[in-house]
Amino acid sequence: MATLRKRLGVGILSAVLLSLSLTACGGGSDSGDADSQGGVIDTSNATGEVSYWLWDANQLPAYQACADAFHTKNPNLTVKITQAAWDDYWTKITNGFVGGTAPDVFTNHLSKYPEFVSQEQLVPLDETLAKDGVDTGIYQEGLADLWVGQDGKRYGLPKDFDTVSVFYNKKLIEDGGYAVADLQNLTWNPDDGGTYEKTIAHLTVDENGKRGDEAGFDKSKVAVYGLGLDGGSGAGNGQTQWSMYTGTLPWQVTDKNPWGTHYNYDNADFQKSMGWMRSLIEKGYMPSVEAVTGQSAGDIFGAGKYAMVTTGSWMIGQMYGYKGVQTGTVPTPVGPSGKRSSMYNGLADSIWVGSENKPGAAKWVEFLGSAECQDIVGEKGVVFPAVKTSTEKAAAAFKAKDIDTDAFLIHIKDDTTFLFPITDHASEITGIMTPAMDSVFTGKTEPSSLTDANNQVNALFE
Amino acid sequence: MSTTITSEDPGRTETVPQTAGKRGKKKVSFGRILAWSLLVIAIIITLFPFYWMLRTAFSTSKSLFSDPGSLLPVDPTLGAFKRVLGLASVEEAQAEGGSGASVNFLLYLRNSIVYSTVVTIGQVFFCSLAAYAFARLNWPGRDKVFVLFLAALMVPPIFTSLPNFILIKNLGLLNTFPGLVLPTLLMTPFAIFFLRQFFLGINREIEEAASIDGASVWTIFFRIILPMSGAPVTTLAILTFIAAWNDYFWPLLVGNTEGSKVLTVALGVFRSQNPQGSPDWAGLMAAALIAALPLLILFFIFGKKVVNSIGFSGMK
Amino acid sequence: MTSESVEMPVGTISPPAGRTPKLKKSRPGSGRSELGMALLFIAPAAIGFLVFYLYPTIRGFYFAFTRYNLLGSPRFIGFDNFTKIAQDKLFWNALVVTTEYVVLNIVFQTIIAIGLAVLMQRLIKSTVIRGTILLPFLISNVIAALVWFWLLDYQIGIVNEFISWTGLNRIPFFGGENWAIPTIAAVNIWRHMGYTALLVFAGLQMIPDYVYEAAAIDGSTEWHSFWRITMPLLRPILALVLVITVTGSFQVFDTVAVTTRGGPVNASRVMQYYIYQKGFAEGQFGYACALSVILFIILISVALIQLKLLNADQSDLA
Repeated sequence: MATLRKRLGVGILSAVLLSLSLTACGGGSDSGDADSQGGVIDTSNATGEVSYWLWDANQLPAYQACADAFHTKNPNLTVKITQAAWDDYWTKITNGFVGGTAPDVFTNHLSKYPEFVSQEQLVPLDETLAKDGVDTGIYQEGLADLWVGQDGKRYGLPKDFDTVSVFYNKKLIEDGGYAVADLQNLTWNPDDGGTYEKTIAHLTVDENGKRGDEAGFDKSKVAVYGLGLDGGSGAGNGQTQWSMYTGTLPWQVTDKNPWGTHYNYDNADFQKSMGWMRSLIEKGYMPSVEAVTGQSAGDIFGAGKYAMVTTGSWMIGQMYGYKGVQTGTVPTPVGPSGKRSSMYNGLADSIWVGSENKPGAAKWVEFLGSAECQDIVGEKGVVFPAVKTSTEKAAAAFKAKDIDTDAFLIHIKDDTTFLFPITDHASEITGIMTPAMDSVFTGKTEPSSLTDANNQVNALFE
Repeated sequence: MSTTITSEDPGRTETVPQTAGKRGKKKVSFGRILAWSLLVIAIIITLFPFYWMLRTAFSTSKSLFSDPGSLLPVDPTLGAFKRVLGLASVEEAQAEGGSGASVNFLLYLRNSIVYSTVVTIGQVFFCSLAAYAFARLNWPGRDKVFVLFLAALMVPPIFTSLPNFILIKNLGLLNTFPGLVLPTLLMTPFAIFFLRQFFLGINREIEEAASIDGASVWTIFFRIILPMSGAPVTTLAILTFIAAWNDYFWPLLVGNTEGSKVLTVALGVFRSQNPQGSPDWAGLMAAALIAALPLLILFFIFGKKVVNSIGFSGMK
Repeated sequence: MTSESVEMPVGTISPPAGRTPKLKKSRPGSGRSELGMALLFIAPAAIGFLVFYLYPTIRGFYFAFTRYNLLGSPRFIGFDNFTKIAQDKLFWNALVVTTEYVVLNIVFQTIIAIGLAVLMQRLIKSTVIRGTILLPFLISNVIAALVWFWLLDYQIGIVNEFISWTGLNRIPFFGGENWAIPTIAAVNIWRHMGYTALLVFAGLQMIPDYVYEAAAIDGSTEWHSFWRITMPLLRPILALVLVITVTGSFQVFDTVAVTTRGGPVNASRVMQYYIYQKGFAEGQFGYACALSVILFIILISVALIQLKLLNADQSDLA
């Protein structure tokens, strides 16, 4: 009996050691074996399956239609699309990189792509695109440049873009005595907010029916805010919170964009603007950070609590979908520069370094970046494709749904866009700026405290 | 509510399951009123969010916020349930504010059932063996090894999720059931700790009597200890099943094909699709309720066992 | 527990040769060692432990001494991570915030759970009530957090609508710096109280009824019986419940990730969330592992202290 037990013990021990050695083999990344040094991918004989990930389920039908068209054109290639919700998407991608299960092609986002480049997870596309004669001039201005890394290599082909504008609730506007035309040409400045602030004040209503610019307005009992706040202070770039105002100042977030290495949160004009945002909150015209920690700005807008709110074009479907609210859009206000401004962001599709079907992946990326696919996407009316001609198709598709997109596209027409800031250390910067900005908006610290945060951010680049 | 039997003979031990107070008389005391009020309050707080989930599940997602304070479903519809069960077409779904992604409900339900059942059976069986060794068998280093196993409770998930993922991948078990169940099949520290504490509380004299009678450790374990531990074992089984059923992160990493996707992962399609968006509330609530239903049924079937198998003290 | 003489069934076989009766309170080392049997019993669990817990932990400890971003190779940097931690304001903030959460959670959850379990045991044993109390545990952590995030929303949550209807000011449950942690604790208590009550209830079931009856006959009141009989006999289970809930509370993550994400301004940036932020979002996996090592040490120490204080290795029932 004793020997049997001993044998069992030995057997167990060896099983354990075996599994330990297996895990030792697997520890660390597998994905460094593929070449990330560029080099042409020959797409002429591409076959097989290409896996493609995206997060927005609303766009899935559009891209499935693209995939079907692609398959018709290239019978040897099939695209398998997987959708994962935003919350899980990046976790799965990162795990995929580490574990070797990442997809061949995936939708990439500007806030993540610098890190992926520095981790050498993306395939440079320049030589392949040159060989296949892909013209990167068909896209809206500036979009293609966003996806060129610090090393000068291109890591994605633009697929869509977004801008921000002011969404309004028709009934609440009319209750305030405004016509839509009155809102089309508001002005803003960081000192007193211009006509923009006056409108916001007038549209704010407290529970007793008093408006924000009337005597007896009770800012502790606001029923409708003149201007909503999208989720919080906006951290380092305030894309939907304040970038449309600061963009009209003679101020740049970074020394250059893309790939700046010095941030400018210590700028006086910028800090004055943050002070202005805070003043709106203090006057009761805009909800506080406390008040917006919770459900999305869209939902609160849908509940009729915001007369206006600034947010991006990706929210069009949702904002126009709320029953009981008639939504419209007007462009962002004109600032001290005499012009409007909107941050300009765009998604692209990238190829993973560890992909086992790079020729197929490259062909799919080229198709995604082509007018043919982007026309299909544009016609569904869910997003603005990057190709200039496809954008027009999308505008028409939106119009057919009774959605006027002029307020978004005016920035393209008037060339008043500026790029989403792209630098290294994006997540760490967010980690520093989110609490710092929240703290300013809640009144806990003064806008001048942002100089200190700026120093912390710039220290990352040393 | 309760019936009491006054014990005429003080020496006789008579258990009356429905007896609430051990005194011989039924009193509507202040204490009793307080106790009942507390229980009622606890039940209300427990149930209100579920009522809210029900109310939302029967509403139309798009209209939800037009009346945020309403206690009744807004724009009542069965659409959410249809979406969850995979019965709605893409147009129907998008018309109500849903996303139009398809859900092969029965398949994912099957996957969840298999996953949870296998994990439960494995964990309960293997951990009860180990717990018994820690509670009753004598061997050198026993308590120190127990602390080691207990320490596994404290292991941060960040340590285990990636290495386990890589191991499963290297074993070629990604997107398979073995890959899904392996990490928790053999043990979790909670299960061992839980059963060991209960086994400690079992009256030793039964075991001693049996071993004097010549019973081997195996016999004692299977014929005496396990049957006596009906309540804790069933409780552990229920808890393990629930945990496995609601497990999200690990199946998300390891189970992505139709054959291996579990319900919780599949129903993630109702969560928000983009960073500032809202979830498909009605669909999400319907999904959560439907996913919880099998658990509720299970609990009602086996819950009685937890009540009725009162710990056998053996001293009647 | 007094032991009465055991009735030997008729036809008792005398103990087989070589076997000696076990001592009442066996300690390892005294009496016969059952190492062989024990190894067999533990084998499957041990494999699971070694492969899926021990090995990753050792690996994690190793990474704590490196700089590693998951995709390159880890670079050994000695104790640098730990010195950085000592100077990290956010680390100390995380400790304070997490401890606050743990204390709130434990105190209220344990009290409520014991109360509920006793109520279920003494007042009404219906499975329906028990099922109802357990309901919150049947939905996932994430869903529970999402629902409460909406119910307690400042502007459109029904709880605040009700509060403002009574004339009081709305409460920023998740958005207020002083409210965030208590609210998160409340949500988790809501979700877990049924589960914890069930654990305690199972423990209560193991206490034989005659103990209570004997006490009642001796004139003990309910309250008295509770403190003098129930609580002491529940000791092993209470130890279990406390260790599990304390350990679990220190590791709170899901609720924070879905609702406040560490805000407002770090008021809810608990340890596990900070670790996740550093490791996965900011790519400092080595640093995150070092933080985890510290958390691990804290948890082990706390658990050992608890077990020692509660004397969890012995049970008065046995």
